[in-house]
Parts: sequence; C-alpha cells; structure tokens
Amino acid sequence: MFLQYKFLIIMRAIWFAAQVAFFGLIASRMVVPELADVYFEYYVAGVVIMMLYSTSVFIGYDIFEEAEHGVFEYLLSLPVSRRELVLGRSIGGGIRSFIFIGPIVAITLFVIGLANPLNFLIAFSALFLFAFGVSGMSITIAVGLKSGDRFDILMGVLNAFIIRLSTTMYPQVFVQDASQLYAALTTINPVTFASDLFRWGVGIEKYLTIAPMPLAPILGLTAFFFAFTFVGVTVYEKRLEGGGWQ
Amino acid sequence: MSDSIISTMDLTKRFEDLVAVDHLNLNIEDGEIFGLLGPNGAGKTTTVLMLTTVIKPTEGNAVVGGFDVKRQPDDVRRLIGICFQEPKILWVSNSWDVLNWHAKVCGLSTQERKTRVKDVLESLNMWSHRQKKVHGLSGGMRKRIEIAKVLIQRPKIAFIDEPTAQIDVIGKHKIWNMIRELRDAGSTIILATNELYEADILSDRVAIMHKGRLMVCDTPKTLKDSIPGGDSVEIQLEKEVTKNVLEKLKAFHEVVDVVNIDPNRLRAYLNNVEEVVPDIMKLFLRSRMPVKSIHVSEPSLDDVFVHYTGLTIEAAEQEGPARRHK
Repeated sequence: MFLQYKFLIIMRAIWFAAQVAFFGLIASRMVVPELADVYFEYYVAGVVIMMLYSTSVFIGYDIFEEAEHGVFEYLLSLPVSRRELVLGRSIGGGIRSFIFIGPIVAITLFVIGLANPLNFLIAFSALFLFAFGVSGMSITIAVGLKSGDRFDILMGVLNAFIIRLSTTMYPQVFVQDASQLYAALTTINPVTFASDLFRWGVGIEKYLTIAPMPLAPILGLTAFFFAFTFVGVTVYEKRLEGGGWQ
Repeated sequence: MSDSIISTMDLTKRFEDLVAVDHLNLNIEDGEIFGLLGPNGAGKTTTVLMLTTVIKPTEGNAVVGGFDVKRQPDDVRRLIGICFQEPKILWVSNSWDVLNWHAKVCGLSTQERKTRVKDVLESLNMWSHRQKKVHGLSGGMRKRIEIAKVLIQRPKIAFIDEPTAQIDVIGKHKIWNMIRELRDAGSTIILATNELYEADILSDRVAIMHKGRLMVCDTPKTLKDSIPGGDSVEIQLEKEVTKNVLEKLKAFHEVVDVVNIDPNRLRAYLNNVEEVVPDIMKLFLRSRMPVKSIHVSEPSLDDVFVHYTGLTIEAAEQEGPARRHK
C-alpha cells in the first residue's frame, strides 16, 4: 500500500535534504554567528514538522482518487458509521505520514542529537494528534470542495498561511518584530504547537513560543484533532450526496 | 404489507434539474429476489444507492429492514451488502486482500473469512488469480470480485447491480445459481439490471422503472399475461382452414385476434396460451382438420417494457433520464 507513494516519498526526502543542506545551512549564516548553529537546528526541526504537515495532507488527494475509482461509494456502504469512517481515515492518514517521515526524524536526531529520550517520546506521541488533525482537515476540505483542482490550489494557499504564520521557520520574537497580529496568529496555530513540541522533545528549548511545556501544545493539538474530526464527520454527512466530483 | 423488508415512500432524488428517481413507492418482501428493471438512466442505481444509505434522498423516505434510511443509516448498513454496477475495488490490492478486508470489515471471524473467501473464489473460478493485482484483471474478473463481496458477506439484504455485466455465458449461469443459493439461505435480493432475460429467470417479482418512475410491479408471469394478446400460437394445418373454424377460434374469449398467414397457416394472438391451447387443438380435431405443426410463444419482459412505456429498452436508453422543466 505504501509503495504506491514511493516516488512521492523519495521526492519528499530529496526536498528535505535540499531544504536542510541549502536553505538551512545558508540561512543560518545570515544570523549572528553565535546563534548560527542554534538556528540551523531550529530550522531542521521545523522542516520535519513541515514534512509531517505536507504528508498528512496526502489523504485529501486519496479521497479524489477514491472518488475517481468509485471506492468512495463502496466505503460509504460498509457497516461502519460515518464517524468511524472519518476517524479511521484521519488516523490511517496520520500513521502513514509518520511512516513516511520516520527516516527523516531519524536523520534529524542524528544531526541534532537527543538530550532527553522521555521528552522526545512524549513529543513524538503527541505529534500523532497533529498528524491525525491535519489528515482530518485535509479530508474535510477535499469532501467539502469535491474538486481536485480547487483542493490543490486551496491547499497551496493554506500551506502558505499555516506554515508562514507559525514558528516552523523562525522564532516568535522575530515574528513579533514584524507584526503583532502575525505573532498573535502564530500562538493559535497547530503548526506552532507541533514545532514547539518537537523542538522541546529534541532539546532545542531556546525560542519556544508556547508555555507551559509540554501541556499547552498537547492541549492545543488535542483541540485541533477533535475539532477537525467533528467538522469532518459533519461535512462528510452533509456533502456526500454521491456524484458531483470533479 | 406486513412481510415488507423494504418500503419506499415517495422516494425522490434530484441532481439539479435531473430527476433521477421520482416519487418511487415500492414494497419488497422478505426472502424474495426482486428485480429492478429499466434502461440505463432509469433510476435503478440511484434507488439502490439511496436504499444503501450511500446517498440521501431529496424527498420521501425508505425503510430498510425496519430502519429509516435517513435517521438510522448505521443500522441499515449493518443489514445490507452491495455489489456495485462498476467494480469498486481498492486498485492497489490483490483479489484475496480485497475480499479478506471486506469480510473483516463486515465482522466475519478469521476462520470464517478464510473459508468463505476460498469457497467463493473457487466457485467463481478466481482462486488461481487470488494473488494478482486487481488492476491487472479483466473487466469480467473484476466484476466477479465485486459480486464475490456479497456472496462472502451473505447479508440479510443484498443489492446486486448488473450482476453479470461483462461476464461470459458460463459465468453468468454460475452467478445466477449463486444468487439463488443466497436467496435460499435467507437473504432478500434486490437485483438491478437492464438485462430483462436475467430478471425474468431470477426474479420472484419485478418492478419496471422508466425516467425515474415506477411503471409497473408484479411477478414476471403476471406482467407478461397482462399484455392483451401478448401470447401467440402459430398453427400449420394439413388443409385450408374454413371460415366456420376461424369464427369458432375467434370466439374463444382468450383470443384477441387471428391472422391468416396463408390458406393452411394461421396465427392467433391471445392471453394465457398454456390454458387455451388444448381447447384449440380439440376444435381442430373435432372439425377434422389435422394439425401439422404448432408453435407457441409467450411475450418476454422486453414486450412488457414496450407495452408499459411505448418504447423498446434501446429507445428508452437513448431518451435518457427525466429532466425538470425550469
């Protein structure tokens, strides 16, 4: 099942390597020399979360493939409730994205090191909620739009907002310098919760946004997961009238 | 109807200006094979999708196995199994995985799954293809996998849409027998098809749909008998038929019309041919007019469709589904 995405996985791995080897290495030279290494590690951890986000979004594309092959109608006829179906798809999508990024996390740990294994385990486990939530969000948008092209475009725009208005690539103190509004938005962004949690897990505790750690981001991710599971079920029930897929 | 396992009450589905199903009222009895007939675009598949809770009705309602399709869809889905018109299969998997996964979701135990999947694959001559990727199979083989899902599941109510589309003649007979066995094991079967012969030989009752509406519903025999003069009997005599015998023949109340094809041969259009043929034979014998040969034919469900819609099934297909006037 996972092998059908081998091209995508390889390309994502290359993208990760390029981001770290080119952008991460060069951009870290732009900051004051004493913080260059800190920023490099900060950025590498952020790229892992970006990858987790983008691979969790894949499930939305699966929905269109299923609609095209008619598998969607089959799934809807099975003796499972819509809630179980959405939850199953979200969790399945989340687990799959974890499998995709597993090797990348291992490389990251090799680059950054691991200060506290218990913190890492807590953070890593909580990131499942993030992956499930993003999958749920992707399913909700896919089913809501019923158009592969629109989905593709909207996810591109959403990616621009949700990643850029988070602390994935830059610490919040610099965001605050640019705009108070941007800074406020980063504090309610699930990508910020995930990024902070992962950095805390691997021991990069400088420039964390959310406090107290790890409780606050875990609660934020839990709310994100439940919100999109609930919205996903509702949209599923309202929008699935058969046909109309573009 | 107390034995109804499915009832529809003004069941309607519209897609923008297209009326796919128009105020459908049906009662399907427990344990019967119910044929839902009509050309492509008649509304059969949309009806099946509403009854299986895949899509929601625009208007009206239906009760399936005692559960409301709008308010209790989860309960409905626990009772049903569906074989889709186009195979709905996870394309990346092989036949065994597809069926084993389906059986698992439907709640079959590991041992039961193994046994049933193996038995059904063997019966459908698919056992040797069980490890092949589904996208590598022919259309007919994929259709066999689709119907295998229902045969393995053995649901209380099975919806089977075009069961033998793309399947060869031997395969068709095998599948027809398996559908009968499923019914005999206690399932109610709703058979949506545009193959009228298939519906005729399998169904206990049939409903004919056209442009989303129900035209008529009864047993195949009653429907065929409902065509006035639908049966025909062609009689070849040893000698020329007399006017007197012809008048006596026309006097039978079952006989609608008699045509002289040539002086020694005539064709009678009549009702209930199987009951009246002995009397016709007696008439010729009493009149000392030896019969050389006799050929009896009954109408088919195609004739029934033409009678109730005024169109052949091919012409009805070309007309397409009903659209609302804006």
